[in-house]
Amino acid sequence: MKKLTKDDLQAIKQEELKKETANWIKVGLSTCGIAAGAQDIYDFLVEEVKKRNLGVSIQRCGCAGMCYAEPLIEVKVEGMPKVFYGKVNKETAMKIVEKHIGGKILVNDHIYDIRSSQ
Amino acid sequence: MQQKRILIKDTDLKKDRTRDFYTAFLTEIQDKKLEEKVQLVRVSDIGIYGKGLTVRVLPENFLYCDVETGDISRIVSESVVEGRPIEALLHKPDDKQLRLVLRNCGLVDPESIDDYIKHDGYQAIATILEKMTPEKVIEEMKISELRGRGGAGFPTWLKWKLTRAVEADQKYVICNGDEGDPGAYMDRSVLEGDPHSVIEGMMIAAYVIGATKGFFYIRAEYPLAIERVNRAVTQAHEYGLLGENILGSSFKLDIEIRLGAGAFVCGEETALISSVEGKRGYPRPRPPYPSVKGLWGKPTVINNVETLANIPLIMLKGGKWFSSIGTEKSKGSKVFALTGKVKNSGLIEVPMGTTLKEIVFEIGGGGIAGKKVKAVQTGGPSGGVIPEDFINAPVGYESLQKLGSIMGSGGMIVMNEDDCMVDIAKFYLRFCVDESCGKCAPCRIGGTQLLHLLEKISEGKGEIEDLDRLRRISRAMQKAALCGLGQTAPNPVLSTLRYFEDEYKAHIVEKKCPAGRCAGLFHFSIIEEKCKRCGLCFRNCPVQAVSGNRDQGYLIFEEKCINCGRCFEVCKFEAVSRG
Repeated sequence: MKKLTKDDLQAIKQEELKKETANWIKVGLSTCGIAAGAQDIYDFLVEEVKKRNLGVSIQRCGCAGMCYAEPLIEVKVEGMPKVFYGKVNKETAMKIVEKHIGGKILVNDHIYDIRSSQ
Repeated sequence: MQQKRILIKDTDLKKDRTRDFYTAFLTEIQDKKLEEKVQLVRVSDIGIYGKGLTVRVLPENFLYCDVETGDISRIVSESVVEGRPIEALLHKPDDKQLRLVLRNCGLVDPESIDDYIKHDGYQAIATILEKMTPEKVIEEMKISELRGRGGAGFPTWLKWKLTRAVEADQKYVICNGDEGDPGAYMDRSVLEGDPHSVIEGMMIAAYVIGATKGFFYIRAEYPLAIERVNRAVTQAHEYGLLGENILGSSFKLDIEIRLGAGAFVCGEETALISSVEGKRGYPRPRPPYPSVKGLWGKPTVINNVETLANIPLIMLKGGKWFSSIGTEKSKGSKVFALTGKVKNSGLIEVPMGTTLKEIVFEIGGGGIAGKKVKAVQTGGPSGGVIPEDFINAPVGYESLQKLGSIMGSGGMIVMNEDDCMVDIAKFYLRFCVDESCGKCAPCRIGGTQLLHLLEKISEGKGEIEDLDRLRRISRAMQKAALCGLGQTAPNPVLSTLRYFEDEYKAHIVEKKCPAGRCAGLFHFSIIEEKCKRCGLCFRNCPVQAVSGNRDQGYLIFEEKCINCGRCFEVCKFEAVSRG
């Protein structure tokens, strides 16, 4: 691959910004998350989203700091607040897929933070 | 009316009250026929503690604390229907955290260089290569007043300037990722969550001092961090961000990874250098400092992971911006691994000057199981304990040192009445004795002698003169040990002695361990009058030291008992005594 220049950096940035989707889920996949089972949740979400054709991109990220609440996932879908769900097991992940993404309602008892109100 | 969401959380964790409140709220919504437009949600954490029932109304984001059932109808009619805040109940939360080092952790995909570039990654080094001389960068770093985050707090700009000033045909930059303090994992999270920012920090350091070769030194116990850094370095090489003629300039840099084999002393810079060279990780006396004679005898800059992760941000936003955060002598923010007897353990980042109280109670949610916080341990085996009386102390290099501890690399362990201070000192001392490389006598012999004295005290065989012996050996180690490990190893002993001498005396004079940790100083027995003969202790004892049956009652045999405390914990009637 050719060497990058400063302009190329800008180009990559713009390209990446264009690729941004309105609907995404980030799964914290650092050691703390993985130890709590986040890899299974990641795989499960990828599978479910594909199966149901939901148009939500599943992404990985580092530790958001709330290690006590791992596995921690951040969910943003259009028309809903940006929410951190913690202590997510497969059952909760299913609820998030069905209720939060499908039914546009928040899931009880697993919200650890809300970063945007709409 | 647009879709509303109402979040409910009982910050005092009273389950029955939460249920009643939730039901009352739901009824109110149904009475007003708003079910279609309003969703009521129970949340697990709202970031506020000890403020009664809290209600948050979205999308307006009104936050109400200490709400009572009587307020529900008002909240529904005014805030939900009309969208007006109720001033009397309104609570304005101030976010105590400030994520600078952790800016990208939990945001970017650590395995994608493009995602890092999207979040302004490699912009700082690009700008520097385009229009800043190394002197200009040092100047900016001087304005920022950034100090090393590994614990010692040496000004980063000065380290760079000294290394730059030395003439040499080859210079090196090393990232110290040998994080070894028990309970600390700040660097691991940064390396795992945002490896590219550390690489960019290394690039800037290398450019400034004139190094063409860099090393990551990461402990082998961090396999995921190693994997992600490895991938990040490969990606940077592929993009030409490492190698020759970086970003069209004449600057070149190669980075390799070296693994630490599990020795704590290798976090000390001279021992780390030996280890990178492939030798045994022995420290050596300084001076000469690594800035003059470092790796393979060449001038070397060694910066901690967190220090390096700060640098791209400082260069993007300016030294002045950075120095506006924090206290007079400690600028910027600090990441802490908050662990121990605290509700919300995790990784937090706060501006310097935030008090321990704010960290433990407002971010950490306070102590667990309703027990009183007794002390906070900072700085790992090189640090000390800060008792609850001083919990209003602000975090910073000097402020914590004044209290006999250090800020260190960022481990913060909360302790409560179940923690015995002699036991804590013993734990850290044993760690240092295990990890001492054995090269110098003060550390090798002094550490072992301190540990023996502490063991003697915790077994109830201590004499009052032992306290002076502890102090004397500690002072000798501080003065005479070769490296930081030995010089700071007595800190946990000295600081527990300073604040909790009573506890030491209880062990020595009364032969008692107030916290019930030192196994030799208490035993368990069953109080017959309180015992309901349920048999829980009998079933839970791992060594069959409880004998008896449900008709005749139970007894604990001291000879068999290992003082694990299981019977004490499981008894629902407080019929097991510890003393």
